[in-house]
Amino acid sequence: MDEKVGPSEMIVHLGPQHPMMPGPFRLNAKLRGETVVDSEVEMGWIHKGIEKILENKTYLQGITIVDRICYLAALTNEEAYVGCVEKLAGIEVPPRAQYIRVIMEELSRIQSHLLGMGEYASFVGFVSMFMYTIRDREDVMTLMDSVTGARVTHSFLRFGGVKDDLPEGFKDDVKRVFASLRKAVDSYEELYSSDEIYKSRTVGIGVLTAEVAKDIGVSGPPLRATGVAFDIRRDEPYLVYPDLDFKVCVQKAGDVYARVQVRLDEMRESMYIIEQCLDQIPDGPLFPEGTAYGRRTPVMRVPAGEVFHRVEDPRGEMGFYMISDGSDKPYRVKIRGPVYPTLQGLPPLIKGVKVADIVAIAGSMDTCTSEVDR
Amino acid sequence: MDANTMIDSLSTQFPDAIYDTKVESKIRIIAKVKPEIVTDVCKYLKENLSFGHLCCEFGVDYPGRNEIEVVYIIGSYDHSVVLTLKAILPRDNPEIESVVPVFWNANWYERETYELFGVKYLNHPDLKPLVLPEDMLGEWPLRKDYKGFPNKAAKNLV
Repeated sequence: MDEKVGPSEMIVHLGPQHPMMPGPFRLNAKLRGETVVDSEVEMGWIHKGIEKILENKTYLQGITIVDRICYLAALTNEEAYVGCVEKLAGIEVPPRAQYIRVIMEELSRIQSHLLGMGEYASFVGFVSMFMYTIRDREDVMTLMDSVTGARVTHSFLRFGGVKDDLPEGFKDDVKRVFASLRKAVDSYEELYSSDEIYKSRTVGIGVLTAEVAKDIGVSGPPLRATGVAFDIRRDEPYLVYPDLDFKVCVQKAGDVYARVQVRLDEMRESMYIIEQCLDQIPDGPLFPEGTAYGRRTPVMRVPAGEVFHRVEDPRGEMGFYMISDGSDKPYRVKIRGPVYPTLQGLPPLIKGVKVADIVAIAGSMDTCTSEVDR
Repeated sequence: MDANTMIDSLSTQFPDAIYDTKVESKIRIIAKVKPEIVTDVCKYLKENLSFGHLCCEFGVDYPGRNEIEVVYIIGSYDHSVVLTLKAILPRDNPEIESVVPVFWNANWYERETYELFGVKYLNHPDLKPLVLPEDMLGEWPLRKDYKGFPNKAAKNLV
């Protein structure tokens, strides 16, 4: 951004601490009157250096570190990391463990969308919505807690399997929670579509076309809201997704309203996936039989090699590139987060909008600074 | 078009610049590229083979071989093949052409690789630190011989 300020222009700094933001980043916006003419994102306020930390931890220790990339997507981060090691070491995950992973990752998608949507609604002045979604999210969190033993940073996945089996009565709990959650999701949709003030702030605002979205490298709900059906679960299947029936939720408009609608639809799909999993889940071991892999795998050495493994995060495409040199620690890990390109694409997206819409647009991308700043 | 035809098409187009190609599986291909021509290769990939999605770009340090690798992971919205493109640079003076004219989102990846590895991108629109404080520039913290945080960085926190 050009720092020079012309007549009747000024630079407004949003952040690094701002109610809109899910973490600290700074948006320097140059305004002419009420209109944004140019802007720039500054980040790095909470840079944790996770890529460097992982080089100095053993593979097992790494699982707890990748949780901390983004607490809302801890399980999908683990899946991408563990999947890399499994591909390098050639570990086959037994079917029961694969089903449990899918169940937990879809639950994590639901809770992430609930929080993202609720936060977003509060950004545009719809604070009561946040209360509703955070209430329903708590039920999902309790379900996850009952399996993993933790609410946010689970450290649940292991190489070749999962830490624990599903607890007794889990299926009934899911049934009970989903019955109320389905009603809740319907009521959110009703609330969103019937509220004229909300619609006037979201319909036709922050329109992202498919070409621009592809150019920016956006993935996940913001991309699918532009009509591009790009979903790693379908395009590059992992775990048991090929055996499951689900559709990729797509909207055409590409505006703020469409992004929220995609998330609503995805929650329904996730619930449908989990119910299928609970019906189909076979009995069996949680770890490959006849191997040393278990809950606490002792020192393990991974064969030298390189692999890129990607999964569908609640926010989009999460990929890990791992290089192993045959020792007990990874040589290099690159984390490709879904929000990084999205946040980078914010300045062109908010160019020419009114300053009040910055919050509506930035919030609808469901950014997570913790993940951008890895 | 499958992975084999893609890699053939790429090596026929750039016989001198593309080497060490390998088809790992139906959806993963690897190739090495001469650093001088990386922008042209990316342009060809994007326009002719519909590799329009730059997943990420990063550096890898190999002090033993005195090399820094710049790795481009390029995927697509139309097919599920992912290409790993590697450019090998000398560790003493790593310089490579920027691919921002082709992939818009390479901007931040290149800024990050610059401040963490010291890879200098030529013709980059705005090459300045992204995640690190500016006074850490020149320490290249993700190189393998980086020795923890010197006092300079600690001062910055106070």
